[in-house]
Amino acid sequence: MTSSPAATASGSPLPEPDASSFAHARPIAGQAEWYKRAVFYEVLVRAFADSNGDGTGDLRGLIDKLDYLQWLGVDCLWLPPFYDSPLRDGGYDIADFRKVLPEFGTVEDFVALLDAAHARGIRVITDLVMNHTSDAHQWFQESRRDPQGPYGDYYVWRDDDTGYPDARVIFVDTEPSNWTFDPVRKQYYWHRFFSHQPDLNFENPAVGEAMIDTLRFWLDLGIDGFRLDAVPYLFEEEGTNGENLPKTHEFLKRCRKVIDDEYPHAVLLAEANQWPADVVEYYGDPAVGGDECHMCFHFPLMPRIFMAARRESRFPISEILAQTPAIPESAQWGIFLRNHDELTLEMVSDEDRDYMWAEYAKDPRMKANIGIRRRLAPLLEGDRNQIELFTAMLLSLPGSPVLYYGDEIGMGDNIWLGDRDGVRTPMQWTPDRNAGFSRCDPARLYLPAIMDPQYGFQTINVEAQMNSTASLLHWTRRMLEIRSRYAAFAIGEFTDLGGSNPTVLSYVRHFDGVGGLDGEGPHTVLCVNNLSRFPQPVELDLREHEGAIPVELTGGVQFPRIGELPYLLTLPGHGFYWFDISGEPEQQ
Amino acid sequence: MTSANAGSDPGAAAQAAPVSDTDLVTLLAGWLPQQRWYAAKQDPDAVVGITDRNLVAVAGEHDLHVTVEQVLIEVSGSHGRSQYQLWLAWQPEGTGAEEHAGAIGTAGGLSATDALLLPAVSRLLITTVADAAALGPVHAVREPDADIDITAHGMVIGAEQSNTSIVYGHSAILKMFRRLEPGPNPDAEVHRALAAAGCRHIAEPLGELIGPVGDEEAGRETTLGLLTRFYPNSAEGWAMALSSVRDLMAEGDLRADEVGGDFAAEAHRLGEAVAAVHADLAGAFGGRSADTDELRRILDDMAIEARSAAEQAPSLTQYLPGILAVFEQAAAHAASLQLQRVHGDLHLGQTLRTLTGWLVIDFEGEPAKPLAFRRSMQSPLKDIAGMLRSFDYAAHQPLVGGRPDAQHVFRAAEWAARNSTAFCDGYAAAAGTDPRQAGGLLRAFELDKAVYEVVYEHGHRPSWESIPLQAVSRLINAGGSL
Repeated sequence: MTSSPAATASGSPLPEPDASSFAHARPIAGQAEWYKRAVFYEVLVRAFADSNGDGTGDLRGLIDKLDYLQWLGVDCLWLPPFYDSPLRDGGYDIADFRKVLPEFGTVEDFVALLDAAHARGIRVITDLVMNHTSDAHQWFQESRRDPQGPYGDYYVWRDDDTGYPDARVIFVDTEPSNWTFDPVRKQYYWHRFFSHQPDLNFENPAVGEAMIDTLRFWLDLGIDGFRLDAVPYLFEEEGTNGENLPKTHEFLKRCRKVIDDEYPHAVLLAEANQWPADVVEYYGDPAVGGDECHMCFHFPLMPRIFMAARRESRFPISEILAQTPAIPESAQWGIFLRNHDELTLEMVSDEDRDYMWAEYAKDPRMKANIGIRRRLAPLLEGDRNQIELFTAMLLSLPGSPVLYYGDEIGMGDNIWLGDRDGVRTPMQWTPDRNAGFSRCDPARLYLPAIMDPQYGFQTINVEAQMNSTASLLHWTRRMLEIRSRYAAFAIGEFTDLGGSNPTVLSYVRHFDGVGGLDGEGPHTVLCVNNLSRFPQPVELDLREHEGAIPVELTGGVQFPRIGELPYLLTLPGHGFYWFDISGEPEQQ
Repeated sequence: MTSANAGSDPGAAAQAAPVSDTDLVTLLAGWLPQQRWYAAKQDPDAVVGITDRNLVAVAGEHDLHVTVEQVLIEVSGSHGRSQYQLWLAWQPEGTGAEEHAGAIGTAGGLSATDALLLPAVSRLLITTVADAAALGPVHAVREPDADIDITAHGMVIGAEQSNTSIVYGHSAILKMFRRLEPGPNPDAEVHRALAAAGCRHIAEPLGELIGPVGDEEAGRETTLGLLTRFYPNSAEGWAMALSSVRDLMAEGDLRADEVGGDFAAEAHRLGEAVAAVHADLAGAFGGRSADTDELRRILDDMAIEARSAAEQAPSLTQYLPGILAVFEQAAAHAASLQLQRVHGDLHLGQTLRTLTGWLVIDFEGEPAKPLAFRRSMQSPLKDIAGMLRSFDYAAHQPLVGGRPDAQHVFRAAEWAARNSTAFCDGYAAAAGTDPRQAGGLLRAFELDKAVYEVVYEHGHRPSWESIPLQAVSRLINAGGSL
């Protein structure tokens, strides 16, 4: 528990830093709805680069690596929480919303990161946990100490533990109840997650104001948006399960209005681990183009991609996309293959709406592969063809892709570190000491760098892959570059083509020319993915595009003209194609 | 023999009768044997006669550049008599029609083409259904709530044994029946009845083309074409099963339940779907119990077929006593047999995996059987046996022609058993009764089917003969069946 030097006499609020006390990052040249076109890159500050040799990555270290990220071609960094925290929940237990975790640096360092990133055309968003704080947060310390003070009503206090019985306990392993008794205040407090993370009381208007002021603080400094953590739980209400309540949506609309009015460049990305049909609620009212979050993660798609490749069948993917409803005009999905921790098979599915769920959850290998946290490369047994196929689908399916740091070089994981830390090892920059991540004594590293013969930093590192144009790193960079040239990949209409072969997933992305960059005309890309490890033929009905000459996007080779008969393609095992089928090239 | 006509001026249309019957028969002589649906391909003595000609549209009408004629022919030969439906497009010779797909030939200064291949004609057909209009004596029925997109382009797909199918964009498929039997078409009849029952496991019917066929004065109203919804993002059960088998065969050391391509969960849902279709068929057309005599007769017929099969395919001879014993045993043990309308020709190729589940398609029944039989009450066990045989074929198909090693043979049997079991489990779960509890009857139906297959393969694909033959051997050994 932290001491409370700033604790004040009952009645006066805590002093909190103001954005005007800091320099502000220079803004990035404006592009409306940039998040619809962006490739996101999730980077853990702790794991990326250590500038001061203390064994832990920091903001200055990340600044040093921005040139690399610009070269790679990512558009926006997503930083999991870097706030001051006792780190009992990976930083999602925030002790001070306006302070940087000291081992990562300072608010000034963060502004410097924003400024340097913006200078390279890269945006930065971070997590904001609105539902709860750490019990070390001064708001909570004040609330338990002084029930009548300005923070007395900041949390949800009750004299007994019987309220909201219909709200499920999320962490059933460690928490017997959503209520915990506080010996100081001698009352119970409400928490949807860990007992050291008391829920804020959004029924108190001051709490909503305080959270919006927190948004403003970082937005004034120049941040480009937030991933809002655990949004379904903000409000609770007797007789409900305390999730997705109308008041929660009202509050998100308030946040969005602040963004639209004061920070129109910024994005709100909701973490709502639910079915697409339910998640769309978090985009808000489609009649006005969406008035809550700009983006939501599409959670079920990721495990479906793995299932599809395992079953060698397009149906797991085609089905979930067919179940995905339309989203408002200003909205975009966020999609990913891996991230720092995701619940996947355990996710959702209370009903038999998705019968396939039961099927796949029974498969022991699927469980082992998807249920625990592993990196992309080891999940795919280091198979370069599959890594490329999966990445190609990530970059071409509907939504803005989120890459996970290190996956661009095919980094491995360390299962002996436990499932949380196994995928959070130091970024592998060079074959040198500590993978080039830190100059410190190897024993001081926050986690050991991967050293196994297949994925160890002697083998897998940025430096080596930079020097070989055949590397996964160069391949990934080329694919990002191709993706950026075609608006269709990001905002084109998606049409699943089906086709004669159930192991081949084929779809068309058509961009109608509205909402692109200057000079971007209508165009259409065709993506064909072989989910089988064996070579496959597929016949596609491309009559709508009759007369067009497909141009393969990685090499520019022209394929035979599309005629009235089914278009025959053959693909190698786990092969894929991207074609521009917009029209007939100029005759020579 | 020209009987009807089209357009506002019947006289003009009648005058336009393109060529004489004799010239037409000559023209068709070279073309018919190349058509997949034409059964008398191998019969040099087959006699083609024109039974009916209807000019249904003349060039200039309906945005057509050709004159369209519906022709009914009767072919007599060694196989008996069959009627066929042709749609011909006529245009002046020299306009390039001879170069196009479907070109039939020229006569009297005119070129004839298979009209179903022409986009203008496929558009005419779907528009006719959408408007519930008529083309000469051919008239259309549109299902009350049918959503028909007449702007979708039509394209003939694949070659089928009994019909020619036109797919319209991603929305509809028109199956034009080539071989006609006067009277109600079971495919259309069943689709309509199951749709009315709210069955979710069939393609939604959208409409029909109907016309008079037959010797009677006005002909019997007969379904000429059936328009149903098209499911673009779907795959045939056969293709999916094969990819599962392929996945298994590629693994040296994994069992059928361990490999990624496991099909059992799909087979289970397929069983549920077939059970639902059977329940709806019984609801729509009724059902009854066969008494002991009738049951005995069914099994006796199987025995007669088996004896005749053994004469045609010598490989069956050694198994004949065992086969007859299975039929005899079933007759002795089975108390009764439920009869109802069934699919009649069910196998994996008649199932379609769509994004929302399985469909059963093509309710025409066994193509070689007469119409009355195809519409008769039969045992649902026949359909189930057809599926089980299909699983067996899918499992063993990759081994055909190669020199199968013991490992692959074992895996194939394992795959077939696993998926047959899953299918029956799914069927039992949905139907409430387990087809495997029918006192040896399921095995009798399976055996009957396998015996038929041996004869078929013996005559058509000798290298495949071992697949059904091994099944026969397995089925006559007690406990070898489900």
